[in-house]
Amino acid sequence: MTSPDPFAVLGLPARADLPDDEVRNAWRRIASATHPDREDGGDPARYAEASGAYTVLRTAWGRSEACADLTTPPERAIPPPVIGDVRPGLSPWRLAVLLPARVRHGRPGRLTVRMAAAIVVALLAWHSGAGTPPIAALFTGIATWLALTARGDLAPPPGR
Amino acid sequence: MWWYLRARLILWLLRGAWRLLRWAALAAILAAAAPLTIVAALAFVAAWLRGWPPARLRRAAAWALPMTAVYLAGRGLQAASWHTFALAPVHDWEAAWHQVSAGRAVTAFALTAPVAVPAGLVMASWLWAWRIYVIENGLSGKTATAPVVFDARQWRRAARVARGRVTAPGTFPLATRTGRVVMGATIRAVGARWRPVCAVPYQAMGRHQVVIGSSGCGKTNLMMRTWAGWYAAALQACTREGAARPLLIVLDCKGGPDARVKAARTRKLLHATGARRVAIWPDEAALSLWDLPPAQLAVTLFQLIESGTGPAAYYADVTQAVVTLAVAAPPGPPASAAGFLARLDEGWLQAAYAGDAGALGGVAAAQRGLADVALRYRTLLSRLGPGLNGPGALGDADAWYFILEGTREQSVAEAQAKALTELVAHAATSSGTEPRAILLACDDYSAVSGRVPLWDLYERGRSLGIGVQVSAQSWQGLGRDDDERRRICATADGGIWLMRTPYPQPVCELAGTRRVIETATKVIGGMWGDEGSSRVQHAWTVDPGIARRLEVGQAGYIRAGGCTWVQIARPKPSPLPLPAPPPAPEAVVIPAAREQARPAAVSSGAGDLDDVFGQEARR
Repeated sequence: MTSPDPFAVLGLPARADLPDDEVRNAWRRIASATHPDREDGGDPARYAEASGAYTVLRTAWGRSEACADLTTPPERAIPPPVIGDVRPGLSPWRLAVLLPARVRHGRPGRLTVRMAAAIVVALLAWHSGAGTPPIAALFTGIATWLALTARGDLAPPPGR
Repeated sequence: MWWYLRARLILWLLRGAWRLLRWAALAAILAAAAPLTIVAALAFVAAWLRGWPPARLRRAAAWALPMTAVYLAGRGLQAASWHTFALAPVHDWEAAWHQVSAGRAVTAFALTAPVAVPAGLVMASWLWAWRIYVIENGLSGKTATAPVVFDARQWRRAARVARGRVTAPGTFPLATRTGRVVMGATIRAVGARWRPVCAVPYQAMGRHQVVIGSSGCGKTNLMMRTWAGWYAAALQACTREGAARPLLIVLDCKGGPDARVKAARTRKLLHATGARRVAIWPDEAALSLWDLPPAQLAVTLFQLIESGTGPAAYYADVTQAVVTLAVAAPPGPPASAAGFLARLDEGWLQAAYAGDAGALGGVAAAQRGLADVALRYRTLLSRLGPGLNGPGALGDADAWYFILEGTREQSVAEAQAKALTELVAHAATSSGTEPRAILLACDDYSAVSGRVPLWDLYERGRSLGIGVQVSAQSWQGLGRDDDERRRICATADGGIWLMRTPYPQPVCELAGTRRVIETATKVIGGMWGDEGSSRVQHAWTVDPGIARRLEVGQAGYIRAGGCTWVQIARPKPSPLPLPAPPPAPEAVVIPAAREQARPAAVSSGAGDLDDVFGQEARR
């Protein structure tokens, strides 16, 4: 298995859009300096590490995968299985408690823009003087739009 | 002559005036219904620019109805009579015109929006559906190629929008609350209901599925999403409805370093969906082939060895007889590879069957071949490695990722695949263990299909209630001949995932056709004229041209005569930690292990085995 950060092993910036040549050159540079067939014996451990990293990063898809993996939080410790043990479902209360965390791990920037747009339209409607029923209807419409679109900006609840 | 020319001119003027009048009337109506017209025009343009189908506009109109309902409820509360209530929208409409003339556009918008928005969206959906209809059927468009250009442009736009959508984290969790596996953003639906997000019921994942896609088309991503999504949805069903606990079994039949990377990524995904133990075989975990029932173990061991035809069939029969004698011996089945090999010995067999004249006759007859059989099994079992020599059972983990080196050592991988499928079948039918909902996913199964043809795997899966998902890089990789490939695809009642492949025709044929209007346009003087004819024709539900041109991550989900083209979202679990598990139940009933009843490998006794091990040891 390779190091957690194959980009670092090859001395490359962690970018998914690196060209093939750059990755290959980085690997060849390390391989030529550490190959076990060198007269000084090379550095087999470093060579193996670099080869492993190159295996991961040699394709564009592999680089995007590695980049994505770097942004994923580290694995949790998994307790051993217990027969008949299943995790509990998420109650509405728990989902509400999780909301701030879902916002933080989602797309807070987009969510802010969306909220700001909704507030501006709501304020315009409020000051339009169109009467209670149309304004209440517009508020309902804005709330529906926000509920439908903002969902995409939140991180999914745990387990999904 | 002059009279005739005058008459023609008057006729032309009359026709022109009538046409002008009609346009003027239409313009007057559109102006009178200006809010509706504006909403409809904006929605129409949006649908054109973003490649939306009319259904997308209808959905938007439906979601705007709560706004209308609140408006009507409010007006209903204010109205003194039914007459006033019925005319309230008309009065608001009139008032909006006064507001516009007074320069208060926002007030005019607020007064008309509750009715104009849903009505305008519905109108736009009708107009857009009509536009698609006339273009596709050749009734509109400046050139005869207009339908082709229109279709290609709308596909590009829909695909671009879908690519943008799959980056939204909350829109594409692995599974929904309602037990559907979310796959990605819909690009186009043909013969199937259009939904913005393509989500498949997890029960469909538990039936047979086929995935076809050439290398580098995003097949691994798709399969991982189905595995993790299925696991998450099945676990939800287990928690809420008490359904069987899920057990995911993945056979990665190509092996190599890539398989390890995939295994690690799959494990990470499954952990985040609630799986506790994800075993990677043979690197980290082992299974015991010797846990199979004696009869099944004997057949499996025999089938692991290559048997020829013709004169070789005789030796195959001898091998089968010897294996059966060794496995079904009175002391019980062997507990390990070493135990089995020790039994391939004349002395052991004679001792085990002492008093059984028929079996002893068989031992004597097989005596000449015993050494050869032992040698072959010693070689085979050493090549298979310790991965199948235990300890371990499928039920020990929530998911198993089996790495078979099908590219490097095909014969060994084939034998391992055979043994593993037998173990899966045993796990599905064993009465003494916890029932599990099993999904068996085979990635590039053609690499190891020598011992267990895919068709056989499918049939067994169907009879045992195991969902089987197979993937191949091409149509040819699905089976040995066309008959087998067609049978596999035709029985994939969980659906077929078609990704980029150079030869999609057979799958397109299986998906069937739909009726379309084909219009022929007459060519007049080197130009396309306005005359022609139309007729009903059949066109592929799954366009092979689209399948060949699919980009990375795009796939067609074919099921029930329809096809949904999807941009698959990269599988990414929720970053939020799972809640702590509840305390374990106090009483856990674990079935008695068979090991306790097993004897030592060789006994020199000749007839007193029952005294030593008891009658229960016999199987």
